[in-house]
Amino acid sequence: MPLFQKEGSVSWAFVNLLLRGGSLVGLIALSAAFAILSPYFFTLSNWLNIFRQVAVVLIVASAQTMVIIAAGIDLSVGPLLALGGCLAAVAMSYWGWPFLSGALLGVFFATMAGFANGVIIAKGKIPDFIATLGMLGAVRGIALLITGGLPVPSHFTATKLAGYLPESIIWLGSGHIGGVPVPMMFALFVVILTWFILNRTTFGRSLFAVGGNREAARAAGINVDRVKILVYGVSGLYCGLAGLVLVGRMNSANALMAEGIELQTIAAVVIGGTNLFGGKGSVFGTLIGAILMGVLANGLNLLNVEPFWQRVVNGLLIVAVVVFDQWRRRIMRD
Amino acid sequence: MVGTDVPILEVRNVSKSFPGVRALDDVSMDVLPGEVHALLGENGAGKSTLMKIISGIIPKDSGDILLDGKPVHFSSPRDALNAGVVLVQQELSLVPYLSVAENIFLGRWPRRNIQVDWNSVFYETQELLERFGIGESPKTPVGSLSVAEQQMVEILKAVSRPNLRILLLDEPTSALSEEEVNRLFELVSEIKKTGIGIIFISHKLGEALRIADRVTVLRDGRKVVTEEAQKLDERALFYYLTGKAVESLEMVYETDVAEKAIMLSLENFGVGDFVKDVNLKVRRGEVFVLFGLVGSGRTTLARGLFGFERVQGRIFLDGRPIQPKSPKEAIALGIGYLPEDRRNALVYELPVFANITLAILSLVSRRGILRIREEMTLSEDFVRSLRIKTPNVLRAVLYLSGGNQQKVLLARWLARRPRFLIMDEPTRGIDVGTKFEIREMVRQLAHQGLTILYITSEPIEALEVADRIAVMRNGRVVRLFESAKNVDKTLLLAVASGVS
Repeated sequence: MPLFQKEGSVSWAFVNLLLRGGSLVGLIALSAAFAILSPYFFTLSNWLNIFRQVAVVLIVASAQTMVIIAAGIDLSVGPLLALGGCLAAVAMSYWGWPFLSGALLGVFFATMAGFANGVIIAKGKIPDFIATLGMLGAVRGIALLITGGLPVPSHFTATKLAGYLPESIIWLGSGHIGGVPVPMMFALFVVILTWFILNRTTFGRSLFAVGGNREAARAAGINVDRVKILVYGVSGLYCGLAGLVLVGRMNSANALMAEGIELQTIAAVVIGGTNLFGGKGSVFGTLIGAILMGVLANGLNLLNVEPFWQRVVNGLLIVAVVVFDQWRRRIMRD
Repeated sequence: MVGTDVPILEVRNVSKSFPGVRALDDVSMDVLPGEVHALLGENGAGKSTLMKIISGIIPKDSGDILLDGKPVHFSSPRDALNAGVVLVQQELSLVPYLSVAENIFLGRWPRRNIQVDWNSVFYETQELLERFGIGESPKTPVGSLSVAEQQMVEILKAVSRPNLRILLLDEPTSALSEEEVNRLFELVSEIKKTGIGIIFISHKLGEALRIADRVTVLRDGRKVVTEEAQKLDERALFYYLTGKAVESLEMVYETDVAEKAIMLSLENFGVGDFVKDVNLKVRRGEVFVLFGLVGSGRTTLARGLFGFERVQGRIFLDGRPIQPKSPKEAIALGIGYLPEDRRNALVYELPVFANITLAILSLVSRRGILRIREEMTLSEDFVRSLRIKTPNVLRAVLYLSGGNQQKVLLARWLARRPRFLIMDEPTRGIDVGTKFEIREMVRQLAHQGLTILYITSEPIEALEVADRIAVMRNGRVVRLFESAKNVDKTLLLAVASGVS
């Protein structure tokens, strides 16, 4: 690589920065570019807006980080989120349940669906992505059955309506505390909790061990099946929580919400530097990754780029990041 | 039989060094048309290095290789293949879901227009199978064949190459039963008749003498002798291999050890279909060496004890019958296991301290929350006492040398305070200094009361660490030496390779 041999040169310094800084450098560069292109970009209200947008993805991406570190992948996060959100909304607005019990119901069933993923993968001994891909279809169907395909609460079913969504859930999704969006604080809390789980608990350590070397984990007496089942359960739990936040933000639930979130979360995790094949990663990297994607969407919006193009850019970004990451690994090894 | 023609392959004064080791020193040998030339040597004698050089996998430092009298230079395995030199390695390279015929012609299927000409693939395979007397259908999926049959398919794959001149067989019999070996030898004899030269690598002396026309012995990278097989017997070969004469081969009978405290006792113990009828008693606080060559069943036995495999018979640990069904259960019973291959036990991306505490997570945590400081102090203690060379305990084990990685694993089990520790080839692939350190530690640990089952295929190592030695061959314990004192290296190897 003749390009990089001159240590101390400007180009070397830049390459080195890119190699080590990774996504954080990307985030700063992208922000700088948007700040130049749009005067509105670097305002407090815009940043708060970005965080509000990112909150749901960030919660789910935290779960995805744990799953991917354990060398798994959860494609069913979107439907699990929708299941939790719809169940909670149905309980609150059609059955007149109070916020807390409705929320518990939704989160409980999302968690159970997550455990089901884990059991199928561990006991059925099938690849993670097949099991969760099946669940992706099945649970979306269940959510549609529960809601009859209509938004909740909906005026078409007004005869059954026991009330609108309670204030608490709307506060969770769109409230503020001293100007700071509640969903943003909630998401940051989840990130910190996830960091704690990954780095300070035996469960977290087991995730790294199972993902890094399954055989070694087993040889050290770790119950690999149990770890796998648990991490998918936790993923379901996070999806349930994210479902509540999303329902609160939209002031409505529907069975098709959060479509494509599995790709967004996987992208955030990978951009954040977590190894897609397990064993290595960090939830703070995921935080950067999720914000980077949020900044990209927000900036493109500000620049009036068509939403269709945004999808194209998002897709290409994921591929580019993985290519860059592979390249980075090769360089660092030499 | 050996012709008088020009040799097909000639190796002249080939040398090869690796950092710190002279792997091959001025080695010469040749192979005549239709000859089976056996290449013998102990582990590390240079057999594999020579094979890799001949087949173009690694370059030689100096010397010449001549094919049909003309010097050749192989810079890759592909060059060697194109010149008709084919290596059949121990690890098979077949695709299990494809048929015999598809595997034999893998990657060079004959075409008719854009289609593969399956008729001719199957027809030619059929012909090949018949010619060498193998009664399998060309359409059988390779995955459903036995290991021996797969081995033959692998050899036929080489034979089917129209330009084949030299066939290198690297320990083809190591995983085969006696009957299967006979069938393989029939195949080899048939191939001989076609005028191809064969180099046969083995560490089984009897087999080499049976199949070979000539034998070349390597020791410590040098050629000791090339001789016609008819003029040799196993004792003579043994002398060449080890530099020592076979002296006494009398059986040393097991004495009654009942009066001493027994830590582990196996009764009619077996693992899978291979390891059978093992009866052993391991005393508390001794280093019990299980000596055997590769493929003798030592590792299978160890894996059975540690709950990785299904076992038969009875196991008693400290007098109580146990039946570990998983490593987790075995660990809970107080058994530790350092596997033959470190890669199956280390989590490379995790730091030193996390690898050390991996088997005691429940002990360094409270209600599932890790006490990292405790993990660190504990690990630092081990880093000091085992002299693990690492800048700090936060370093990923990935960056440690092989010897230090092995010490990390040892620390993992010592932290667990097991009653019984299995060490499978703990000094393989690590530098000499650390090798001695680890053997020293093993002696010390036993002195402190730990019972150790030490598996090795290096006779000197066995003699150095052992209180007692059991020798395994073909999945059975064939002999027990009550003391390492009256045993020498030669005798151990003789028993392990079945010379008597």
